[in-house]
Amino acid sequence: MNRFEPKIVAFTCNWCSYAGADLAGVSRIQYPPNIRIIRLMCSGRLEPEIVVKSLLYGADGVLVLGCHIGDCHYITGNHRTKKRIAILKRILSYLGIDPHRVRIDWVSAAEGAKFAQVVTEFTEEIRKLGPILKEVNS
Amino acid sequence: MIEEIRKLAGEWLRTGKANAILGLKEKDGHIAPYLFTRVEELDNLVITPEYRLLNVYRPLRRNILHFMQKNHPNAKIGVVARGCDEKALIELAKRNQLDLEKIELIGVACTKDEAVACKCPKPYPRNILIGERVEGISNDSVVDSLLKKSSQERLKFWKHQLSKCIKCYGCRNACPLCFCQDCKLEQELWVKPGQLPPEIPIFHFIRFYHLADRCIECGECEKACPMDIPLLTIYRLLRKDVKELFDYEAGVDVKQEAPLVTTLDETPMRSEE
Repeated sequence: MNRFEPKIVAFTCNWCSYAGADLAGVSRIQYPPNIRIIRLMCSGRLEPEIVVKSLLYGADGVLVLGCHIGDCHYITGNHRTKKRIAILKRILSYLGIDPHRVRIDWVSAAEGAKFAQVVTEFTEEIRKLGPILKEVNS
Repeated sequence: MIEEIRKLAGEWLRTGKANAILGLKEKDGHIAPYLFTRVEELDNLVITPEYRLLNVYRPLRRNILHFMQKNHPNAKIGVVARGCDEKALIELAKRNQLDLEKIELIGVACTKDEAVACKCPKPYPRNILIGERVEGISNDSVVDSLLKKSSQERLKFWKHQLSKCIKCYGCRNACPLCFCQDCKLEQELWVKPGQLPPEIPIFHFIRFYHLADRCIECGECEKACPMDIPLLTIYRLLRKDVKELFDYEAGVDVKQEAPLVTTLDETPMRSEE
């Protein structure tokens, strides 16, 4: 039987999470191949509109990864991300899109293992939720 | 009620407490905001039918009071303000659109009927000079029914509602707080020209999100909508959410900064999501 393989867009910041993903690769840690990473200079660059548009155009889930609070390369970039994503999730739930399709987490450059763990968890969660287009087009 | 307002406005103009009064003027059956400078003109000052007082002049995306204060920095301006107008003024002052110190308010409390018609939660300004304070309406049937719906039903509901949109930009144009110089709704990246209805839900999402921490619940967007989309529903819910998450209410305190532009140290988040 064919298992549903979700498409996940991961937005990672250049300084922590992207390096964390790199470390996971270099350390040869296994994680699901469902994510497509887009590197941003800071997670604060991410406009919520981009997340909605990703979901609308077929991404089953959106993962937003940044530096830990307090460790942002731009001092407070991720503070804004955190607030924006909180508001975004509320709007999504009112519009009828499951807010669990968006996840925000913090991964530092030294946390290759955590990166793999977050991606594995999130992929399994989205697999359970099913394809987004089914939800949106029903 | 209107006679009292005219009398008070005339008094302010005569004594020099205000050099000009911003209010609604009726001319040949039409209503528009107008800056009254002479006492004789005040016979045309009205407060009904309701019309947005704090219009944003679209080509320059600025408020009428912004121009006044720019050209006449020392002018004292009186504003005939209902509860929603006052909230809009506070929110505009917070975002550097005008200077509240040179503005005096003629606070007008709305009647019960007006409050019910707007489903307004706070139909009175802080300092009421005219009219009696009546309690606001705290529940909205559309909000309640939306919250009872499942995720699937909500999606269906909004798909139906938003597919009615004819992209007239009425909601944005009517909004006293939509004053960005570069509006995202006019950028091809987000809103494709010539597509009707606009992409669901991006077009409306942009407005929902951008107004999340500045919406004052005046309801002008919903009143302006020719297709009767219940836009205010989401703004009401978001106002509640922003209060819950950041302990912040738009249009209450000039000194309190908007939570989405500050850091977590300045405005912490109350609940973890």
